Parts: sequence; C-alpha cells; structure tokens
Amino acid sequence: MRAFWDNLRLALGTFLGNPLRSLLTLVGIVIGVATVITMMALIEGLSIKVNRDLGGLGAHTFEVTKWPSGFGRFNWAKYAKRKDLRMEEVRAIQEGCPSVLAATPMDDQGGQKVATSARETRPSVRVVGTEPSYPLTSGVSVASGRFFNETEALDGRPVVVLGLDVADALFPGLDPLGYEVRIQGRPFLVIGVLQKRGSFMGMMSLDNQVSLPMKVFQQLYGKNRSLDIDIQARDGQVFQKAQDEVTHLLRRRRDLTPRDANDFEIHTNESMTASFNQLSKVIALAGVGVCLLSLVVGGIGILNIMLVSVTERTREIGIRKALGAKRRRILGQFATEAILLSLIGGTLGVALGFGLTFLGQWVLLFPMQVPAWAVMLSLVMSCGVGLVFGIYPAARAAKLDPVEAMRSE
Amino acid sequence: MSEASGTRQSALIQVEQLTRVFFVGGEEVRALRGISFGVTRGEWVAIIGQSGSGKSTLMNVLGCLDTPTSGRYLLNGKDVSRMDDDDLAVIRNVEIGFIFQTFQLLPRETALANVELPLVYRGVPARERRERAKAALDKVQLTHRMHHRPNELSGGQRQRVAIARALVSEPSMLLADEPTGNLDSATGEEIVRLFEQLHKAGHTLVLVTHEPKLAARCPRAIRLSDGEVVADGPGREVALGTGAGVAAVTGGA
Ligand SMILES: Nc1ncnc2c1ncn2[C@@H]1O[C@H](COP(=O)(O)OP(=O)(O)OP(=O)(O)O)[C@@H](O)[C@H]1O
Ligand SMILES: [Mg+2]
Repeated sequence: MRAFWDNLRLALGTFLGNPLRSLLTLVGIVIGVATVITMMALIEGLSIKVNRDLGGLGAHTFEVTKWPSGFGRFNWAKYAKRKDLRMEEVRAIQEGCPSVLAATPMDDQGGQKVATSARETRPSVRVVGTEPSYPLTSGVSVASGRFFNETEALDGRPVVVLGLDVADALFPGLDPLGYEVRIQGRPFLVIGVLQKRGSFMGMMSLDNQVSLPMKVFQQLYGKNRSLDIDIQARDGQVFQKAQDEVTHLLRRRRDLTPRDANDFEIHTNESMTASFNQLSKVIALAGVGVCLLSLVVGGIGILNIMLVSVTERTREIGIRKALGAKRRRILGQFATEAILLSLIGGTLGVALGFGLTFLGQWVLLFPMQVPAWAVMLSLVMSCGVGLVFGIYPAARAAKLDPVEAMRSE
Repeated sequence: MSEASGTRQSALIQVEQLTRVFFVGGEEVRALRGISFGVTRGEWVAIIGQSGSGKSTLMNVLGCLDTPTSGRYLLNGKDVSRMDDDDLAVIRNVEIGFIFQTFQLLPRETALANVELPLVYRGVPARERRERAKAALDKVQLTHRMHHRPNELSGGQRQRVAIARALVSEPSMLLADEPTGNLDSATGEEIVRLFEQLHKAGHTLVLVTHEPKLAARCPRAIRLSDGEVVADGPGREVALGTGAGVAAVTGGA
C-alpha cells in the first residue's frame, strides 16, 4: 500500500515534470474515450427519443408518414420523390376505412417564439397544427380548459392549447386561460393547457409545444408540407386490419401497381422500437470500431512515451535498483505511471465527450445523454490500455542491470 | 592461512577464488582471476591498482550489484554469489551502503528525498524515514541543504549527500569506488576526513582509490593487478610498494 502511494507520487511527479509532452501523448486516448462517451450519449438519447415517440402514440394507434423512422433521414433523395401526405388523404382514411376510429393529421414547426405583451419564450417552441382528435390519438389529455372543437378547426379560429412549459414560461403563477398570445405576430386565444407529458433532462421537452387548428397552422407555415397521420383503430382486435385498410386505400389513391412498394411509411410502437434497435446497433458498431482504433492509437502513444521515459531514465532506474528496489517495485512504478497517464487521458476524454454531447444537445438539438456506466466503462478501459501498453516498457525497466544502467547518460 | 581461517567466522566479507569474465564480441575479458581475501567488521581497507586492473569490477561484486562468474562470496555468513536479482536487491538495501565516484543522486529529488530512498525500498514509514534521513544528513553536516536538489549543491556536498544516503540504512559496510575521483583535492580531503570519522565510529569501509597517499592512510590496502591480488597488507606498505605482504599473498593465491 505504501509502495502504491510512493509510486503514485512518482508518477504524478513525472507527469507534472513534462505536462505538454504527456498531454500530446494522450491525444489518442482522449479521442477514443470522447468517441465512446459521445456515441453512448447518442444511443441513450435516441432511446429516450424513442420512448417519447412511443409515448406519443395512444392505444392501438399507428402513424403514417412520408419519411422512414424519425431517427435520421438516410437516403434522402429516394424518399424525397415520394408524394406528400395531404389533408385529402386524411379525409379519405376517415371516411373509407371502417376499422379506423380516428385519423389525426399533424404538422409541426420547431424553433418558434410564443409571446405575450409582457413575456416571450425562447425560440425553441414546437408549433403543432392538428385536429380535435389529437388528444385521443396522441394519448395526451387536457389539464385545464379544453382542446379546440370541430367548429374551431373547420373555421380556422385563432385558438391555441399550450404545453405546460410554454404556459409556465409565459404565465408564471397565473391561469393562462382566456389570455392572448402571439405566434408569428398573430394573436391567439388560449383555451387550454395540456397535461404534463414529461421532459427528458430538460431538453427536447414534450411540453415545450403549442397546438393550433390545422387550418390556421397552414396559413402561418404553408400547405405544401407532408403531414404525419396518427390513426387509431376501433380496438386492439382490428389494429392490424386498420393498417391493412389504410395501406390499401393509400395504394389505390396513389395508383401503385402490385409490384410497387409502398411510398409511405407505417409506424407502430413495435416498428419504431425495431428500427431504433437496428439503428442503435449500427451506431454502437461504428462507435466500437472508431473507439477501438483510437484506443490502439492511444495505447501506442502510451507505449512510445513509456519507452522513451524508460530510456531517458535508465540511470534513475539503475540508482533505484542499486539502492534496493526489487524488480516488482520498478515494474510497479512504471506501470503506475502508464496507468495514471492513460487515466488522465480517459478523464480528459470523458470531459471532451460531455462537451460534444452538450454541443449536440444545444447546437444540433439532438437528443443525447451520457449514461453513467459509459463513464465508468471509459475509465476502466483507459486503465486497461495503460496497463496493456505500459507493461512492456515497465518490464524492460525492471530487468535493467544496475551497473550498466548507472553508467548510461 | 591459519590466521585467515581463524577469522573466517567473524569475517564480514569472505571471498574465495572470485572470477568475473565479460564477453565482449565473442572475446573473453577476464576482469577478475581468482581473488580471495576477507574483511572483518570495523576494518578500513583500500583497494588500489592500475586502471583496468579490476577494482570497479570487484567493488560491484562486493556491493552485490554484479555476480561473480565463479567463486564464492560470503557476506555476513550468507552466500550471495548465487542469489537472484531480487534477493540481491534486498542485500544491497540492508547490508550495503555504496558510494559512487559520480555520486549517482536522483537529479529531480531533494537531498533529503535522495537520502530517504533506501528506506523507501525497505518499507519504512514516511515519518520515520524522514527523521532518519535528517539524522544521516546531520552526520555529514548538510542539514542546512536538505531541501536543495543535486544541481544546487557543490561536488563535495553532493558526495556528502551520497554518503548520508549510504549511511541512512545503517548497513554492515560502506563501499566507495573512487569517492574523491570527481573532486578537487581540498574537497577530497574533506571527504577523506569524513571517512576517518566513520572508521573511528566503527563502520566497516572498503574504498577504491588510485591515490597512493590516500591508500597509505588506510590501516590496510589490497593491490590488484590484472585481476589478481598482488599485495595485501598495511596501507602504507602496500601503497608505497615496500613491505613483505606482497609475496605472502601471491604465494597463497
Ligand atoms: N561491462 C563490461 N564489459 C566488458 N568488459 C568490462 C566491463 N567492465 C569492465 N570490463 C573490463 O574489465 C577490466 C577491469 O575493469 P574495471 O572497470 O574493473 O577496472 P578498474 O580497475 O576499475 O579501472 P579504473 O581505475 O580505470 O576505474 C577492464 O579490462 C575492462 O575493460
Ligand atoms: Mg574503476
């Protein structure tokens, strides 16, 4: 134990004696660990997003969209050619599919400001255009006031239902019902506040949104956008049947031949989970690859600096051995140094990983969260790299002949 | 010979037919060719001889820094000539205080830390080793420099730090290979006086020197030539090449 503290003190001394060289050596490990942290944060964040999306669908509800799963829009060009989903198709589904209880169109615009005469939100509010069946298909209920009704939807009345975050931001300590808010400069009457849906670590909050009648939404943001359609089956038994009916109807309306693939996507809770799992596997695999590579690079950095260190300090080693240091002690001294070095690298990597995650959250608005176990794993891994790549130089030091070593300059 | 066997029991050092052969590029260099002698506790022995005669090689073997090619080396009754690296490390730590011509101090550590080092490897707790290191520095009158690093000290002061380091673990003997070789004569004299004091205090000293004047001050001297002992007797006689000890030893070997 005493030997351990002595070794640690020596190792720290060496590090502080040449911090710049040590830090440069650590670049590989820093990058490796930062990669692990960021990748894990991404996967963790995606799984939170999936949970939220799953939470966004009500009972026996599925979603029809133009784009494949919401976790990244790969093969953009292929999907871009697809026809948009429009209100006509929503109406057709509502009328032509007997197993469908409700079909709710949704469109949204992120990064919006909502203001009262006194206050203003940050430009991060998601404005959702939808119809009165929204609470039903999204499985969310109204906490106070009410959702807008058919008449308001049909007429395109300027009414709005606030998410809890927006209500709190604009009307702290007040009941917002009956007040007026402005979106894109237009006045809206607050008629309801949605129940709290949960926020994931205070970012990408589900409550940081407002809902308007689709007609008004389209006046504000335009009509030429593809809608998402949330469709609720009459009950669990006809869930699959409802999907078949909708698929048929859309294929017929779009004149697809039996050979053509669907030119729209159907998501269920299961399909989203599956596509998420697949994606997270890809990310994890890429992450593992990048990370192993940079850990090997980092390890070679450690190997190199330790070999240099042993050579430079041959005389010191000779003196220590001459005065009674056993092989194990010298081995321990240099192994401790290698491990400390890579642990410092690991810690810096974790810090950088948190930094990148922070950037991802606030600049790219990507949902990310660093899981605690990833931090542990990274630190353990760095120790491992230090040990594996530090042991050879340390063994070399331990085996030096004291007489020869003391003669070296 | 009868006298030698009589002292064998109390001998601190007993070497018999020591050889040390180096192999350099397929060629044998016989640095020691069958050396035998004994040193009893409290003796002060000088080892002299021409350059290349094997003095340092012998000192390294005596200091357990090197092992003989053949022959026996009993230190304190223990046969150390066949020990492995780690066992020798323990012997070096406990039994031997080695003083080098080039001091061999750790440049980045203070005088105090340098002196503490043997105790570190003996597992002495930090407080105690600090106290003992201070006491050792006090013996060489360097307490006022204990927080200085080697490059902030004069040559003589560095060698005194090295002597304090050799003394700190209270070894059975002190070995010094040309301890004044890197010092000017006045500073060298200072160090020699220190050795005289240590000898009076009862320490066992083996000292390599190429200065006959210094060897002459030692109670006993051994002269090496080409890896063999050619004279062993009172320092004055061996150093100045007089005396009859020479023939006796060569005859015995
Ligand atoms: N590591 C070694 N490898 C090969 N030969 C060596 C080695 N060490 C010593 N020798 C040889 O052994 C012989 C004795 O060397 P040693 O260093 O013991 O002499 P010395 O008496 O100490 O000389 P000096 O007074 O110059 O220090 C020399 O011929 C030397 O070349
Ligand atoms: Mg020599």
